[in-house]
Amino acid sequence: MTLALFGTSPSGVPPRGVSPHGMPHGMPPRGAAVAAPPLEVTSPSGPELPVSEISVPEAPVRAVPAPETPVPEVHHPRVDCTADSTVGLTFTVRLFGKDAKEIAASQVPESAAVLLRLRHQHGPDASLRLPLSPVAADGRLRATLPSTTQLPEGRWDAYLSLADEEPQRLLPGVHDLRALVDGGSPSDAHAWLGVRIPYTTKNGNLAVRAWLRRPHAEAGTLRVEDGTMVLQGRLYGARLTATASLEALPRDAAASPVRLPVRPDSGADSGPGRAPEGPKTSSRAPERAPEGLETPEGPEGEPGDADARHAARDFTVELPFTSLLPGHQAWDLWLRPSADEEPVRLARILDDIPDKKRIFTYPSRRVADRDGALHSVKPYYTINNNLSVQVSTVDTQAAG
Amino acid sequence: MHISFLIFSAYGMGGTVRTTFNLAQALAEQHEVEVVSVFRYRDRPFFEPDNGVRLSSLVDMRRHRPTFDGDDPEHARPAKVFPAADGQYKQHSALTDRKIGEYLSSTEADVVVGTRPGLNVHVARQTRRGPVRLGQEHLTLATHSARMKRLLRRTYPRLDAVTTVTEADARDYRSTLRLPGVRVESLPNSVPEPDVAPADGSRKWVVAAGRLAPAKRYDVLIRAFGEVVRERPDWGLRIYGHGREANKLRKLIDELGLYNHVYLMGSANPIEAEWVKGSICAVTSSLESFGMTIVEAMRCGLPVVATDCPHGPKEIIRDGVDGLLVPTGDVQAIAGGLLRLINDEGLRTRMGKAAHSASARFDPSQVAARYEELMTSLVNRRSGTLHRARGTLLGGAYAAREAARLGVKYALEGART
Repeated sequence: MTLALFGTSPSGVPPRGVSPHGMPHGMPPRGAAVAAPPLEVTSPSGPELPVSEISVPEAPVRAVPAPETPVPEVHHPRVDCTADSTVGLTFTVRLFGKDAKEIAASQVPESAAVLLRLRHQHGPDASLRLPLSPVAADGRLRATLPSTTQLPEGRWDAYLSLADEEPQRLLPGVHDLRALVDGGSPSDAHAWLGVRIPYTTKNGNLAVRAWLRRPHAEAGTLRVEDGTMVLQGRLYGARLTATASLEALPRDAAASPVRLPVRPDSGADSGPGRAPEGPKTSSRAPERAPEGLETPEGPEGEPGDADARHAARDFTVELPFTSLLPGHQAWDLWLRPSADEEPVRLARILDDIPDKKRIFTYPSRRVADRDGALHSVKPYYTINNNLSVQVSTVDTQAAG
Repeated sequence: MHISFLIFSAYGMGGTVRTTFNLAQALAEQHEVEVVSVFRYRDRPFFEPDNGVRLSSLVDMRRHRPTFDGDDPEHARPAKVFPAADGQYKQHSALTDRKIGEYLSSTEADVVVGTRPGLNVHVARQTRRGPVRLGQEHLTLATHSARMKRLLRRTYPRLDAVTTVTEADARDYRSTLRLPGVRVESLPNSVPEPDVAPADGSRKWVVAAGRLAPAKRYDVLIRAFGEVVRERPDWGLRIYGHGREANKLRKLIDELGLYNHVYLMGSANPIEAEWVKGSICAVTSSLESFGMTIVEAMRCGLPVVATDCPHGPKEIIRDGVDGLLVPTGDVQAIAGGLLRLINDEGLRTRMGKAAHSASARFDPSQVAARYEELMTSLVNRRSGTLHRARGTLLGGAYAAREAARLGVKYALEGART
């Protein structure tokens, strides 16, 4: 088909590397491919906003050459997402008009792109443009989010952007995320660990949930026993030292943090969904951006920096519930790799499930404090998949 | 041929809707096909038919539309043609009686297909002379009430054919109802080829999917998985679906300490993307009139461990070849079946491949070809009219006998028994 659509690409190959600023690096602006203007969200606290409620400042006026063919009117665009084992995402779209007739790839403007917008955020880092290029032979269009592209943490709403039309929401299609199920192969060669999970929003649209962390403390098997919880986990991107500790930080600052020792494990967490072979560095080379399209460096230095390449390390930690009593509040769990390092939030993000809260649930336990008052204690995942513990006072009269 | 399907609502997402659209679309390759939905609840159906299938509806239930029929006083009066023995009697009314009757008495179709007993009664009683009348049974005769069975025995002789989704149910229809001159054929539900590549058996997950309803016996599955975890703590179970059993199952998982291994995932659409994340499918129902999820999982390359419950599983799975059949309700046997596949990767992969190729017989094109053969032979049956006159007479005779037994009141109320 027509790779000529990408005539501005010197090699004739569609560009794959993209920056978070919305334009491929080193690429001259093409036709109407105006970088997505920053968003202004009118109601920052509200739920996902329909496009009509987002006020988009007018794009900078610039001379746009008249397209040779009119921009086709696309009806309910649906996109299939495929995750590869290096945690890159591929978006494949097939466009249909109002009459349900398929729109040929050759009719789609060359500036067509999948546009990701970080919900409730604005500024240059809150929008990412992934150019759509025709897939040879079958008339579909494809855009790639390489594993090397950093996507700031949050919920990214997906739009189809055609020329300078108002982008329209993309609907979810068939999402092949099997590569994510057992954690994928988070590459230890990056200075950061990125997780991106496509999902369907409450309103039925497509969004991508992203996490960007380094170091990262992944929560695994969690057992709730009589007066304690035992957590197995794995630390990425930092050395687990003899002074490593678990920190439970109270949401209510009046209580003091609780610190507990962390035990490095020789054997890995063998629970389902955990990479069974234990600590590993990436078995494959990270996807390379094309020449001249280097990925921006992570906050912790060059990829390949010795510090960023610690082998992931398994650990076990025990949290006696009595240490969180008395009180009625939530405790956030952090892991401090060593006494002189910043703590790392414990979270469960290395799989295909965007919202853990309702799926990964744990039983609660009744624990009495020194005065004999009963408390109910329950570990849970927050809406951001971070691990916390809720302590609630039990009304003994009501409890009988 | 012009083929017309009559369905309760084409705007839902249940099994009948899916299988009807699959079949309609495959038949539309060669024929003119329409789907007539008695009710319209939404602007757009969940599954959009393409391929030239025409979709129309008779009663508009969308409140925001000027064409809303819900306030029509006729809709407040009870139905007389749609039978009270059908579970969806309450949704039907004098208005649906009239609208369905008008459609059936004026249809240009060569073949009219009803998709549930209540609608089959309409098809039997109200279709104008000419079109072939076909009634589909998506559940089973055995699960119908005695009252429903009496009604079907009286009414179905006016159909040309009844289709069931299993051989076992077809045998029941032939032996219990003894419908004179009516072809009874078993034609399975169809499942299209998934849009994702088949599973390769390498992921340590067992997957189950379906409504969280008592008949699915997920409690048995969870207990069986507890046995599995003792031996293989590296494997997990994902259960997709929602339903009223959710809280009970959650409690059971916590009680058995399986919360690191068994997950209630909620609903997923499309489900095929979830099947391929696993390596084994488990079905532990006490009853499966067909077993659509078994076929769906097999089409995704998963071997299925299923209970040998009535009626579907044993007609889909070849035990030991493309899946395993285990005794219904038997926790140890289910755990044993799962462990056999978990502990033997070679067997698992071989059975998965066998399941993938064997399930191609449920492709809409294959099922549609069998429907086409049945429909063509009925349309061409030269004695068709004669047969129906006879069937009607005999049906009338049954009805008269039944009425004599039950009293005149029922005869006066017609089908409303």
